[in-house]
Amino acid sequence: MAHQARPLAQGQKAQSGLTLHQRNSIFGYALVAPVVICLLALVFYPFVFAIWISFTDQIVGGQAKFIGLGNYIYLAKTPSFQKTIVNTIVLVASVQGLKLVFGLGIALLLNQPIRGRQIWRGLVLLPWAMPAFVAYLTWKLMYAPNGGAFNVMLDLMGIPIQLDFLSRELAMPSVILATFWRGFPFWVISFLAALQNIPQELYEAAAIDGATTWQRFQHITIPSIRHVILVVVLLSTIWTTNGFENVWLLTQGGPSDATMTFPVLSYFGLQSLRIGEASAVSVAMLPVFAMLAFIIVNLLKED
Amino acid sequence: MLTRLTLGQKTVYYSLLVLLAVFILFPIYYMFTVSLKTPRDIYRVPSLLVPNPTTQNYVDLFGKQDFLQSIGNSLLVATAATVISVFISVLAAYSLVRLKYRFRDGFSRLILFSYLTPSALLFIPLSVIIARLGLANTLQGLIFVYLTFSAPLSTWLLMGFFRSIPMDLEEQAMVDGATRLQAMYRILLPLSTPGLVAVSVFTFTGAWNELLLALIFITSPEKRTVPVALQYLITGDTFRWGLIMAGSVAAAVPVMVLYYLAQRFVVQGLAAGAVKS
Repeated sequence: MAHQARPLAQGQKAQSGLTLHQRNSIFGYALVAPVVICLLALVFYPFVFAIWISFTDQIVGGQAKFIGLGNYIYLAKTPSFQKTIVNTIVLVASVQGLKLVFGLGIALLLNQPIRGRQIWRGLVLLPWAMPAFVAYLTWKLMYAPNGGAFNVMLDLMGIPIQLDFLSRELAMPSVILATFWRGFPFWVISFLAALQNIPQELYEAAAIDGATTWQRFQHITIPSIRHVILVVVLLSTIWTTNGFENVWLLTQGGPSDATMTFPVLSYFGLQSLRIGEASAVSVAMLPVFAMLAFIIVNLLKED
Repeated sequence: MLTRLTLGQKTVYYSLLVLLAVFILFPIYYMFTVSLKTPRDIYRVPSLLVPNPTTQNYVDLFGKQDFLQSIGNSLLVATAATVISVFISVLAAYSLVRLKYRFRDGFSRLILFSYLTPSALLFIPLSVIIARLGLANTLQGLIFVYLTFSAPLSTWLLMGFFRSIPMDLEEQAMVDGATRLQAMYRILLPLSTPGLVAVSVFTFTGAWNELLLALIFITSPEKRTVPVALQYLITGDTFRWGLIMAGSVAAAVPVMVLYYLAQRFVVQGLAAGAVKS
């Protein structure tokens, strides 16, 4: 780096008896130390610790005994856990599918020469600016059988049925819709930022060559923002799979496990104080996260 | 812009935008209306409007000492987490971007890895660690664990911002006799204001909104943060929806105002975090 050869810095070297490179290294370590120590203590160590206790029969306040894959074998046989795997996949796949389609669609719409684009963009941010717990409390009330917004609408339209949107059959679609509402702004804003970076000349050249709208979308828009799409999909998949508030506040995993997901099941495990088993629930998600994280890290390194 | 919109396009686009606006605004509108209704009106008079608006829910909510206490706790935790996290993240990001040393890449990877590690995986071991440290059921413990998500995100975003600022100005200042820290404080930080605003907003709102960890670590009612206090209102015996929505409005309005004011920076930071263009 250029600044390492500055005359003034050279002069400082003589005073301390260390080379400039060494001084810079020490200074670098000192500045980064608080964050690194925090993360080693609060992320890395707990991460390893979670994996370790998932192989033990640890309960709160008790002695831990190593039981190998005991917790995992037990979980694999539990109907609740099997349901959790299916639910998590259904929830995440549906929500992410919706966000991809509508997120891209809305971003394309907002990228048109419409009036008040700033205002629309601010509007799209609203669900995301709202605290998640507030959003889900509000949706829970909208779903309520008695006095909830959707039933009031049915009533006002003269449809004489009262639906329980959080019943066994409808709970999952209801959780999906609420999770989508709160999560799609991130996608729209990220996609919109990427769309605005595409040089207009590409479209102009394509128009001269007589390309149709669809061809321009397929051959210019998508390739230009492919990278962003991929990063957003992966990041958001980690967050959505990790989501606790949506299920906890809307259904607490019920009725009868109809919406039980990994984080909620793990939370119930902790409440029951069997933390070995509860840890195994979270650690079971780990391979999926590790894979997603690995891809993201490599994508970001490419830049 | 390439072309002007045709009338047909205009009709389609603006219709879609109106639909989008309804979809986005309806839940927010509904939250406000319910917060202004008596329980009787919510259940007996099904309406999407507010025939007899009342501020009774807000009076009840703020008349209760414990909700004010929760707001105080949330403010304290979010502010402290923001100050600490932004401070240490600025130092770390500066170090990782401007200085060269042996484990730099390893540390960068640790930060990215931490950013990607879900708290659903960490909350069980963290509860054990926090208990061992004697920080269970304390606001300090909560501030401490909130660094798990705020420090990696802040450091990561700030690294992007710092990288985008040319080093020449800082070098010039150092030639003129400023120390590294002075050059950072006087030149780099003012130029990185958008980034600092973005990470402060993210950290503050992240801590203000956080439910899972607060639910686990805080056991006594007087130490509850706002999300925890509100979730106990729905898991309790009687639902008072008006009261819960009044609490939701009270919790959401400060954060949404903050986002509105910092919109430009937040969007920039958001795009930088995910997209890193």
